[in-house]
Amino acid sequence: MNVNLSLLAPELFISALGLAVLILGLIVPKDSRHGLGWLTVFGLLLGMGITMAGWENQGTLYGGLFVVDQYAVFFKLTFLVAAFLVVLGSMRYVDMMGDQSEYYSMILFATLGMMVLASAGDFMTLYLGLELMTIAFIVLVCFRRNDVKSVEAGIKYLLLAGVSSAVLLYGLSLVYGLTGTVVIGEVGRALTARPVPALILGLAMLLAGLGFKVSAVPFHMWTPDVYEGAPTPVTAFLAVGSKAASFAVLLRVFIGALPAVWAHWAMLVAVLAAVTIIVGNLVAIPQTNIKRLLAYSSIAQAGYILVGLITATGPGIKAVMFYAFLYVFATVGAFTVVTQYYSVTGSDEIKDYAGLSQRSPLMAAVMVICMLSMAGIPPLAGFVGKFYLFKTIINDYLWLAFIGLIMSMVSVYYYLKVALVMYRDEPADPAPIQLSAPVALTLLIAMIVTIVLGVYPGPLSEATNVAAQSFWR
Amino acid sequence: MLPLTVGLTHYVVLSALLFAIGLFGVLSKRNAVAVLICIELMLNAVNINLIAFSKYITPTLFIGQLFAVFVITVAAAEVGVGLAIIIAIYRNRLSVNLDDFDWLKW
Amino acid sequence: MVEFALYNAWLVPLLPALAFLAIIFLTRPWPMLSALVAVGGIVASFVVSALVAYGVFTNPEFLEKPLVYAVRWFSMPGLNVDVGIQVDPVSAMMIFMVTMVASLIFIYAIGYMKGDPGFSVFFSYVSLFAASMLLLALSSNLVEMFVAWELVGLCSYLLIGFYSYKISAREAAKKAFITCRVADFGLLLGLLALQIVFGTLNLVELSDKVAHYEKYTTFGVLTLIAVLVFIGPIGKSGQFPLHVWLPDAMEGPTPVSALIHAATMVVAGVYLVARTVFIFAKVPAAMELVAVVGAFTALFAATIAVTQREIKRILAYSTVSQIGYMMLGLGVGSMTAGLFHMWTHAFFKALMFLAAGSVLHALHHKADIWEMGGLIRKMPVTGWTFVVGGLAIAGIPPFAGFWSKDEILVAALESGHYVLFVMAAFTAFLTAFYMWRLIFLTFFGEENPANHPHESPPVMTVPLVILAFLSAVGGLVGTPWAPVWSQWIFFEHPHHVEPNYWVMIGSVVLAAAGIYLAYQLYVVDKAKVKVKELAERYRHIYTILYNKYYIDEIYLWFNHTIIDGAAKLIYLFDIYIIDGVIVNGLAYLTGLSGESLRVLNTGRLQNYALVFFLGVLALVVLLAFTGPSSASLTLGGVK
Repeated sequence: MNVNLSLLAPELFISALGLAVLILGLIVPKDSRHGLGWLTVFGLLLGMGITMAGWENQGTLYGGLFVVDQYAVFFKLTFLVAAFLVVLGSMRYVDMMGDQSEYYSMILFATLGMMVLASAGDFMTLYLGLELMTIAFIVLVCFRRNDVKSVEAGIKYLLLAGVSSAVLLYGLSLVYGLTGTVVIGEVGRALTARPVPALILGLAMLLAGLGFKVSAVPFHMWTPDVYEGAPTPVTAFLAVGSKAASFAVLLRVFIGALPAVWAHWAMLVAVLAAVTIIVGNLVAIPQTNIKRLLAYSSIAQAGYILVGLITATGPGIKAVMFYAFLYVFATVGAFTVVTQYYSVTGSDEIKDYAGLSQRSPLMAAVMVICMLSMAGIPPLAGFVGKFYLFKTIINDYLWLAFIGLIMSMVSVYYYLKVALVMYRDEPADPAPIQLSAPVALTLLIAMIVTIVLGVYPGPLSEATNVAAQSFWR
Repeated sequence: MLPLTVGLTHYVVLSALLFAIGLFGVLSKRNAVAVLICIELMLNAVNINLIAFSKYITPTLFIGQLFAVFVITVAAAEVGVGLAIIIAIYRNRLSVNLDDFDWLKW
Repeated sequence: MVEFALYNAWLVPLLPALAFLAIIFLTRPWPMLSALVAVGGIVASFVVSALVAYGVFTNPEFLEKPLVYAVRWFSMPGLNVDVGIQVDPVSAMMIFMVTMVASLIFIYAIGYMKGDPGFSVFFSYVSLFAASMLLLALSSNLVEMFVAWELVGLCSYLLIGFYSYKISAREAAKKAFITCRVADFGLLLGLLALQIVFGTLNLVELSDKVAHYEKYTTFGVLTLIAVLVFIGPIGKSGQFPLHVWLPDAMEGPTPVSALIHAATMVVAGVYLVARTVFIFAKVPAAMELVAVVGAFTALFAATIAVTQREIKRILAYSTVSQIGYMMLGLGVGSMTAGLFHMWTHAFFKALMFLAAGSVLHALHHKADIWEMGGLIRKMPVTGWTFVVGGLAIAGIPPFAGFWSKDEILVAALESGHYVLFVMAAFTAFLTAFYMWRLIFLTFFGEENPANHPHESPPVMTVPLVILAFLSAVGGLVGTPWAPVWSQWIFFEHPHHVEPNYWVMIGSVVLAAAGIYLAYQLYVVDKAKVKVKELAERYRHIYTILYNKYYIDEIYLWFNHTIIDGAAKLIYLFDIYIIDGVIVNGLAYLTGLSGESLRVLNTGRLQNYALVFFLGVLALVVLLAFTGPSSASLTLGGVK
């Protein structure tokens, strides 16, 4: 069998990098393991370059098991950017935590899992990618193994993810039983619009299994607990990487394999999106812990992104990709502030953010801008993203657009509550917070990209258009 | 005596029963290790499904079998990580009762 | 070089914008460095503009087809917005003039603002101001233009309120901002209507489409659009009845007043009308509106200026009046004349404001012209350059104002607007009178012993001299015998004006009469007896004029009684019904639902798993019992 390895280059590179970091961690002495972070950062940059270079290089491998189209490449870039920002912003935190080589290699393996997921052309590759990502994340979530909360979050994530995987697999096995194939494209051709009970059950289980990963209500229960307990950089990566990868595969499965029963699941996804938006935003209001607040806000964001799936058309796919990309910057920006603040003060409580604007104007500004972007305030990127998302459904699901609009207003309330604490209240300890260069760089990248994408979304919009078109090729 | 031939339906029903039993265990068992085992039950239900479908629907291709092998492998890895976490939490809390793990809530 | 400049004209707004960023983020702690950055930015921009202007005015191709290059800003079905640069004679002239005048004002400001605690900030604001105006001038698209338009408004707000410790400055800044916002609302509606009707806001496409507007809309709608668009310039260019902010805008530092009145802000309105003249040209009624508003404002502001006492206030009303002139020129169908007056006015008005600034600088901000006198002996450069400006605005040949004013008068006469012509001619007389009243009282006559004036440093006087030179010769590009100007700046076809000697002689006579009258009243009559007599005899008229026709008071009364009264009622409604019942009630319910939903997250893992399976069950039930048909009935979507 002749395999075009150039299509696999990004995956091969990242797995080699992950292994190298793991092994180097055993070789280099303890006090110089700090350099592993930089190795990871530059490795990820190189990985981005390799992925970008393969933008035009499309094809399938192993008889359709592994698909490399621009859709997949775009998502891979998104994951790499997310990993890059997370690692860049968390090096100091990781040095304090110890075990650098395991941490960085797990991040890399999780990234690898996401990349495989984005390229999954059949259910087996999908499952392997999903589990590679999930298991790496389980390890990362309970990485602070002496911290009770971290381990509790780990066991919750482990067991609930296991259950959701089992449900997802059961759904996949039913679809396989109905069509006799596991290749996504062939499933799409084999399925007919006749809704036999097994298909209904399979559909519901697929939606639940993947809905768990993107934390759609009511499969979201794990999200706040795991987000709160996990080390903050991991939370950030979980919120952007895992979610984006799951959306990539959600779109691939539902639009690629199940278009025949679109009429059945479209309404279901619409309801799910509505419930997710409502619950995510409402429960965010009474939160007092910043990580839980961001967790609920990320649930709400998942609801917004789900909107792009409903129509199962090119513009919808494009909107999901666009939003997933900009969401990386807003979320990593906000979580990097949380990480940094935690390493200085040891607190994640919102009330302890009092006077942050005086202690570190940059951190406060990045937090506000990222949050306002998530709320969809123009001229920030989130506004453009939400615009693209809701534009696809405005004709057919006006009620959903209204829910999105009203709940966006609600979200402004709890986001601004944080801003109020940071800008109005006096700090308990007025000492300025020193930012290390990598953290400041991460914050600046997050802020600038969030603003620039809002003011000038043209190029990214074009790129996502092209990538969305490659979906059906 | 009824002619008893074992067909696809029987396998699917067995699989569904196993899945339901596993599900019941996940929801009712309080011991973390037991819950982990119940998840394995659910995964094995999936495996029965996969192999049965492979045998009856695509007898010439081994898609289902292949898939099942992967599921078994990954499940093993998951159990490995799971047991490690359970040990870690036992060290911290001196308990593997899931009802005790509710520090993170609301 | 020229080629490079033409194809990179985006550098023109970009350079001052970069200067703004550099000052804000880098050089703010070092005032002189900030000033150098700002001046460097605008001068570099001037060099590029000069090259662009050279390229345009040596190449007649640009008359036929403007050079447009753009990048896609955002696109969606039915709306594509580009950000682009449109280089044609009009924009080339505009950026050349703006950068030239702004460069001189920036240099002058180094001297004027010396020692001010906000020195760096001042230079960052004016850089942004210039950048916005240049972007406005070069915009290829009305959305882009509107953004620049609003940026200009924002900068004017920041700069008028620059001395924010002064209440009057703060109030003036708010007044400018709010007044312009009222007008911008009209403009915005107009732009939206254009987009809806014609599907584009690109200037070139729009002018093609408006030429055949019958295909898209009716005459009535186009008239409405033209009127709405014109509301914007009424505010921004200080036309009646939204002129009230402009005289107050002198609360800002004087270089800002010069910038607002001469090169940026107020001429933005004139420029917008010139840019969208293809709409107005299709709607005679709108053209009439522009002309009438212009002529009326010209006369109206001139009468107010006659009685004012503060030096900058007189200049401010003269700006209102002169902008009215420009609008009149545009309105009677001569874009050539309107923009020509904008060009000459930029020089002499900048000159006079800067000279007035020099006077204020010397007298420690004593602004009443009745307390000045004889300053020309102590401040010869300031004085004589001001005299040049006075000759130019009065319309004495061969100074710049003569040629442009003459063209407007001729255009009004030739298009048959006799009433407007008479109004304009009388305004010319009044202009000469009040401007020379100002000059005689300030610079001539007896010195006030309480004053100890001194000439300003060269960094301030050199720009004055350059501007005086430009005010003297700047009009020679458009004399009726060598009409270079009208060959380049026109709408549809060159407008060649035969020299109309009667109008020329008439306007010179009127101007001379105005100056002579001022001379008689304020110089010959040393004790100013006649003036006081006149003021006494026509006391009522004098008071009305001095109080600017009580326009501000009328607005205040309107606000206090009608708006505040209505507001009180609405306030009560708001407090008790809206806030009390609806908002707080809703907020309470929202918070409560958040709280109660929150409790579902018990922290128990198995509860989560249970919810998960209930979710699966719910999905199955939904799928099984609501097929696509019933779903589409209740929720829409699937057809």
